[in-house]
Amino acid sequence: MAPRNLEKQLNILDYALSSLWRRRMKSLSVLLVFAAVIFLLASFQMVTQALTDKASQVLAYTPEITLQKMSAGRQEAIPLAYRDRLAGIFGIRRVVPRIWGYYFDEVRLANYTVMGMDVREMPEGDRLDTALAKGTIPGPEEQGRVVVGQSIVKALNLDERNTFSLFRPDLSLKTFTVSGAFSRDTDIMTNDLIVMSLADARDLYEIPAGLVTDLCVYVANPKEIGTIARKISAILPGVRVLTRPQIQKTYQVVFGWRSGFGSICLLAALASFVILAWDKASGLSPEERREISILKVLGWETSDILAVRFWESVIVSGLACIVGMTAAYIHVVYFAAFLFRPVLMGWSVLRPDLHLVPRMAVGNILLILAFTVVPYLAATVIPAWRSATVPADSALGG
Amino acid sequence: MLIELSGVSKIYNQGRANEVRALTGIDLGVEQGSMVCLKGPSGSGKSTLLAIIGCIFPPTSGKAAIAGRQLARLPDRFLTLHRRETIGFIFQRFNILPELTVLENITLPLLPLGVPPKERKQRAQELLERFAITHRAQFPAGQISGGELQRVAIARALINNQPIILADEPTAHLDTALSREFMEIMQQLKAGGKTIVIASHDPLVFEHPAIERTVTIKDGRIHVS
Ligand SMILES: Nc1ncnc2c1ncn2[C@@H]1O[C@H](COP(=O)(O)OP(=O)(O)O)[C@@H](O)[C@H]1O
Ligand SMILES: [Mg+2]
Repeated sequence: MAPRNLEKQLNILDYALSSLWRRRMKSLSVLLVFAAVIFLLASFQMVTQALTDKASQVLAYTPEITLQKMSAGRQEAIPLAYRDRLAGIFGIRRVVPRIWGYYFDEVRLANYTVMGMDVREMPEGDRLDTALAKGTIPGPEEQGRVVVGQSIVKALNLDERNTFSLFRPDLSLKTFTVSGAFSRDTDIMTNDLIVMSLADARDLYEIPAGLVTDLCVYVANPKEIGTIARKISAILPGVRVLTRPQIQKTYQVVFGWRSGFGSICLLAALASFVILAWDKASGLSPEERREISILKVLGWETSDILAVRFWESVIVSGLACIVGMTAAYIHVVYFAAFLFRPVLMGWSVLRPDLHLVPRMAVGNILLILAFTVVPYLAATVIPAWRSATVPADSALGG
Repeated sequence: MLIELSGVSKIYNQGRANEVRALTGIDLGVEQGSMVCLKGPSGSGKSTLLAIIGCIFPPTSGKAAIAGRQLARLPDRFLTLHRRETIGFIFQRFNILPELTVLENITLPLLPLGVPPKERKQRAQELLERFAITHRAQFPAGQISGGELQRVAIARALINNQPIILADEPTAHLDTALSREFMEIMQQLKAGGKTIVIASHDPLVFEHPAIERTVTIKDGRIHVS
């Protein structure tokens, strides 16, 4: 008979499908564990990728150099007059005063970040408009107007009203009007942020005239950040000089540590999954041995039986990939990766309703496949070699 | 001769501590269209002899020619290919897969041959009708009666139109009525031109009028009384 190879493979695929269906409880349990592992890996990958993307995006808005006055190892207000002492340093484009503080809302038990700055003074100030979902950034003369992050909108019900009040240190109330809100794309940095004019922030925190919390230094040439920072330190001893590369490094360390911790957890999950797959596949039950020897006597070649196992594994892992990846995407996009929130966003007291834009790099998909599908195929097909050694004559009567 | 064995011996686990000499110097010829019974006590070597005739493994020594092929010269893979064209097996307890449907069980030998589903169904249909089990085609094989199971096993041995039917103690677990029915079907198959070898020590088999010859085996040798 002429070899009908395509039909033969289709028949074997058909048989593999019906075997999976016959053992549907077992197949389903393996599929679920497998999909769960892929779900975790893929979610994790998407979240760290999205966070890294965002952090680098938003870091673009932070000043190249930030100056803070330190006293007894703690930050205190810095005199505006220090600006004049920097005038002689070549390469500084602009020095913008800023009041940066935190506000604890005792009613809602949440922390807000307050930034008072005349943003029009920032060299990139105009670009900030693109970070807004609606409204405008208040100008320096617009008293009592603020731009807020998305979790502030939620916490203070600012969808329904557009004014709210915060307490000054003397417990008198200061009222603000919302003039704009940051877009979800900048959540990682703007989530709990309230941006107002320098004068409003001074009023809210009762900071005397002539003092601010920090000075933002913008330089003309990013390559000179290090040199300029050193010169500033020399002129203003006792002032902490933070550069953008330093801040960037801090973020990277935090992300690195967190994703490292997560990776260990995931590896543990992966290992237990492989053990499970191996256990399921290597223990040839008497029924399976019987089936194999019957098929052999009926004219199935060893390679045909291996092909059945192979297709079963491909179908299970293919389905698991589709289910796991889809679930991961939904988890990250529609549920804001809520399972990973405690690990990834631990630094924020306010549980941010973080909106992530997941990015799935092709390389990472392949990596996930390499870490899941390949071990699974190996764990199921390799023990099947052993089953291939089941002698056909064991199906005959003793 | 469709089956021709001369000086056939089979030693399991040769050269090892658990070596078993199962067959010694078997000479046996079976004409096309005849029906032969292999008789002998348990452990005498009947199943081993059927396995050699059925191209499951070649003899350790001696010559075995099945449907014109010398087994000793064929590598494992060709034994399988030759087997599926030549031999229909009926096992003790029938070895039906209980979770598969009757139809799936009957068509199992056709899958590795690349026979497409439609043709498989068509071929099975004729056998289902012939053995009056059409109404059971979609039943899981584990749920049908013993008599139906027996006919499913026979249908599976015929699905690829193999010229030789081998049955290993087919009636060992059957009641008298079913054993008689089995032999009746074998008689019909013989009349249809099949060559049949049955291993059995059941008098209902070896005393059946359709059996032309009974070969007695003892301790792996043909016993001449
Ligand atoms: N796969 C095997 N490995 C080792 N010994 C075997 C094997 N199969 C059968 N034997 C031995 O070969 C002898 C003949 O067995 P068998 O052909 O099954 O006899 P019967 O079918 O007549 O009962 C017995 O001693 C049996 O133990
Ligand atoms: Mg036997």
